Amino acid sequence: MKIPYERRKALYGYGFISIWMIGTLLWFLIPLLESLCYCFMDNAQLKPDVGGMHKVWLWSVGQNWLANFKYAFAADPQYKQNLITVLKDTAITTPMILIFSLFIAVILNQEFKGRGFARAIFFLPVIIATGPVYNIISGDIASTGADSGAQFSTLFETDIVDQLLEFLGVMNISAQLSDIINSVVTNIFGLVWSSGIQILIFLAALQNIPVSAKEAASMEGATAWEYFWKITLPYVSPMILANFIYTVIDSFTKTDNLVMARVLDKQLDWDYAYAAAMAWSYFAIVMVVVGIVVMIINKFIFYEVE
Amino acid sequence: MDLENKLNPEAAEEAAPLREKSGRPAHPQLPEGYIPPSAVPDVHEAHDVGEGMSKKEAMKIRMQSMNKQEIAYLRRKQIFEKCWPVFRFLILFGLGFVILTPLMFMISYGFRENTDMNDPTIIWIPRHLTLRIMKQTINAMGLTQTKNNPLINTLVLNIGCSLCQVVTCALTGYGFARFRFKGRNLLFGIVILMILVPTQIISIPLYSTFRNFLFGHVNLIDNKLVMYLPALTANGIRAGLMIFIFRQFFRGLPKELEDAAYLDGCGPLMTFLRVMVPNAGSSFLTVFLFSIVWYWNDYYVASSFFTNTKTISLVLKNLDGTLNIAIFNNANANVSAREKIVWLEAGCLISITPMLILYALLQKHFTEGIERSGIVG
Repeated sequence: MKIPYERRKALYGYGFISIWMIGTLLWFLIPLLESLCYCFMDNAQLKPDVGGMHKVWLWSVGQNWLANFKYAFAADPQYKQNLITVLKDTAITTPMILIFSLFIAVILNQEFKGRGFARAIFFLPVIIATGPVYNIISGDIASTGADSGAQFSTLFETDIVDQLLEFLGVMNISAQLSDIINSVVTNIFGLVWSSGIQILIFLAALQNIPVSAKEAASMEGATAWEYFWKITLPYVSPMILANFIYTVIDSFTKTDNLVMARVLDKQLDWDYAYAAAMAWSYFAIVMVVVGIVVMIINKFIFYEVE
Repeated sequence: MDLENKLNPEAAEEAAPLREKSGRPAHPQLPEGYIPPSAVPDVHEAHDVGEGMSKKEAMKIRMQSMNKQEIAYLRRKQIFEKCWPVFRFLILFGLGFVILTPLMFMISYGFRENTDMNDPTIIWIPRHLTLRIMKQTINAMGLTQTKNNPLINTLVLNIGCSLCQVVTCALTGYGFARFRFKGRNLLFGIVILMILVPTQIISIPLYSTFRNFLFGHVNLIDNKLVMYLPALTANGIRAGLMIFIFRQFFRGLPKELEDAAYLDGCGPLMTFLRVMVPNAGSSFLTVFLFSIVWYWNDYYVASSFFTNTKTISLVLKNLDGTLNIAIFNNANANVSAREKIVWLEAGCLISITPMLILYALLQKHFTEGIERSGIVG
C-alpha cells in the first residue's frame, strides 16, 4: 500500500510530537481539567487526604456550583483586596520593566569597552532570580539596611520630582504620579532583578535590525532620538508583545504575588476547591486583560516580512 | 586607477576598454564580484585633503563647504558622542551595583562571625573572618551526608531531566516546525497554554495523579520519577517555552538542507538526527543550560512531590527551620534574628556557587545562544 507523500509527511509530524502528546495529556491537560472541576465542587466532595484526591468530574457538580466564586468575591475578606493590589502592581510594574529592559538593551547593544562584562552582570539575575535565593536576599538586604535600591534612589531624589510637579501646577495628578515614581525608584532592586530575560530578548531583537536600515538612517542624518523612534522601536515591536506576555506570566510565579500566596495558603489548609477557584478566577481575569492589551498592541506592531 | 583595479588587475584590464567605449562599465561581461568604480567612494581625493594636516584642520576645511544646518548637526552629534559614554557609564555602574549587591552581600556575610552583625561600624568588610559559619551551614544543609545528599540529588536530577527534556522538546519543536498535519495550530495552542498556565493551578491534581499512578497501583510521590516522567515526555519545568524556542529555531533553518537529505533517501528521523541536530548545536546547548538553571532553582515542583528527597533549593528554602533545630536550639547558642542572616547568606552563597561557575564558564552560550537560537523571528 502506498501512502501519498503529503499524508506520509503529516504522519511523520504526528510521530515527532507523539511523545509530547502523551505527556501533555497525562501531566497537563487532565490535571488542568481536573483543577477546573475542583472550582465548582464543594470541598467536602473532594475528600482530600493523604492518599491524594478523590477523582471528581463535572457530572458530580452540586446545586451550588458557583459557591466558591461567590465566596471569593463577596465574602472573603482578603481575596478581592489582594486581587486589586496585585492587578494594580502588575499594571504599574509591567510597563516599567518593558521600558527599563528596552533601555538597558539599547545601551548594551552599543559598542563600548567592557560590554561583555556589563552584559554578563545584567544577565546574572536570569540565573539567580527564579529561585528561593531571591527571596532570602531581598528580605535580608531590606532588613539590614544595606538596601542598594535605597542607596541608588538617592541619586534620583524623589522629593525633587514632587516639587517639580507641584511647581508645574499639575497638583491633581502629581500625587499619583509621584507615588508611581516613588514606588519605582524604591523598587529599583526588584525592577533590575526581574528584567533579565526581557533584556536578553530585546537585545536579540536589536541585533536583528538589518545593517542597511542603520546605514540609511545615518546617511539621512538621523539623530539618536529619531533613530530610536523610527528604526529601533518598529523593529523590536514584536518582541515588546512577547516580553509583555512573559512579564505578566512571570508575575504569577513571583513569591511576592499576594493572590498566589493566598492560594497556596488555602492549599495547605486542604481547602483545594476554594484554592482552585481563586487561582482560576485570577488566571481568567489576567488572561482577559492580556488578551485585550495584546489586541491593542498588535495594531502598532511592525512586522518586517509577510 | 582606483583601489579596485589595484586589487584585481586582470579585471581592470578587461574592464577598461569597455568603459572607454560606452562610458560606463558593461555589467554582463564583467567577472563576478566586480564593483563598478562609480560605486566606490573616491578615496584618492580624501587622501589629498588629509595629507600633512591634523584631523582638526581637515575637519575645518570640510566644514567650510557645509551649510549652517549641517554644522549644527555635526556639533550636536559631537557633544552627544562626548557626553553619552559618561552617562552610560554612570547608569551601567549604578545598576550593575544594584545587581551585584546581593552577591557581595553574600560573600561579605558568609565569611564573618555572627557577632560582627552587632557591630554597627561593620557594613561590608567583616572584622572577624571565619569559615566556621560556612562549615556549619554546609553541615546543616546536609551536604556532607553520604546518603540523600542534596547536592548529588540535585545534580543527577538536573542533568538527567535536562537531557531528557532537551531531546524530547527538540523532537516536538521539529515536528511543529516542519510538518503540516491536521490540528497543528490547535496543538500548538496547547503549547502556548503550557507556557501561560502557572504550575500552581495544576499541582494538586498532578499530586493525585502521581499518588495513584497506574490506577492507584503505584505511589510515585517522593520517587524521582515524578521529575523524570514529565521530562521524558516533554512536559517538565517550562517545557512549553523550550518547545517554542526549538520550533522557532528549526523554522529558521533553510529547507533545502532537509530536501537534499530526503532525496538521498533519508527517513525523517534520520534527517533530523543527521542534518538538523548538527546544525542546532548552539541552540541545544543554550536550552540545555537554561533547563539546568530552571531545574536548579525550582522548589515549587520539588516541594509538592518530594517528601524526603532533598534538593538544593528545597534545603535552602527550609534552611531557617533546619538551622533552628541544628544550631540555635542549643541553650548556649543565643543567636539573635539579625545574626541568623549570616547563616542564611552563607546558605545562599553555597547554593548559587555551582550556577555561578557554570555561568562564568559558559556565559557566551547563555547570552549569545538565545540571540542565535531564534527566540526572535
